[in-house]
Amino acid sequence: MSSAVNLERLYDEHAQAIFAFVLNLLRHEADTRDVLQELFTKIARDGRLLDGVKDQRGFLLRVAHNQAIDLMRRRATRTRNYEQLAAGKAPIFAATDDPDQQALAGSLAEALGELPPEQRAVVHLKLWERQTFEQIAGALAISPNTAASRYRYAIDKLRVRLRPLYDEIK
Amino acid sequence: MNSDFEEYLRGQSFRPIPAQWRGEILRAARAQPAAAPWWREWLWPCPAAWAGLAAAWGIIFLLSATSPEEPAEARQAVPAPGWAFAMLRQETEIIAQLSGSEESRPAPPLPPAALKPHSRRRAPQSIG
Repeated sequence: MSSAVNLERLYDEHAQAIFAFVLNLLRHEADTRDVLQELFTKIARDGRLLDGVKDQRGFLLRVAHNQAIDLMRRRATRTRNYEQLAAGKAPIFAATDDPDQQALAGSLAEALGELPPEQRAVVHLKLWERQTFEQIAGALAISPNTAASRYRYAIDKLRVRLRPLYDEIK
Repeated sequence: MNSDFEEYLRGQSFRPIPAQWRGEILRAARAQPAAAPWWREWLWPCPAAWAGLAAAWGIIFLLSATSPEEPAEARQAVPAPGWAFAMLRQETEIIAQLSGSEESRPAPPLPPAALKPHSRRRAPQSIG
């Protein structure tokens, strides 16, 4: 494997998705960059990591998830509190000109931040990566049933939290 | 089956990744050295300890290889026979007589193990 060429291709194909996923988990841009840097450094050091991997996106998301969880644990003792950060107003969605859309995006970001990280990860992979529960289970090292139940809990919470605004916009 | 609500959420697009990250991340990733061989990864957690252990074993091996052979006589340490003790006692008495001392001190008693037979057979004991 010529890692120099493939590294660029991998970045162009998957970096945006990994960025969104990790940013949604960590809600911290610098930490998200650290995770991305670590991920691509790991691949550059050992190109054989991707040998035989059929679903590269799923593999990269899984590695990124593990790194993000490690980062959260390492820094849990510091003053930074990820749950508080997650509940804050870290911009994770693209800005739009439509004020209603902008309001919904802001509320959605907050509502996602209020979810436990494990539910947030499932929701992200299901909604924005369109993964099946089997794929999510593989990425997060949980059972498909657990992935499905986490998704249902999370969607119910989001629905309750966002219904007034959603009904108003619709 | 996805609800309208889920489809609506799905329609929200995430922020684009900062454009300058691409060059920075790829450049930094390529600047890293290649992965170390497996044995180096295995030794990595405490290389000084492993090196110290290897040095200690090396020194032990060198000392073992360079030390002189032990003489065969020393290896077979035979206890002095009884006649040697008798000669020693005789010499002690002669020296005492030559030195003119009236009271010739008796030689130290022989160790019982040196004169007695070394048999461990127990004498038969009759009861009654």
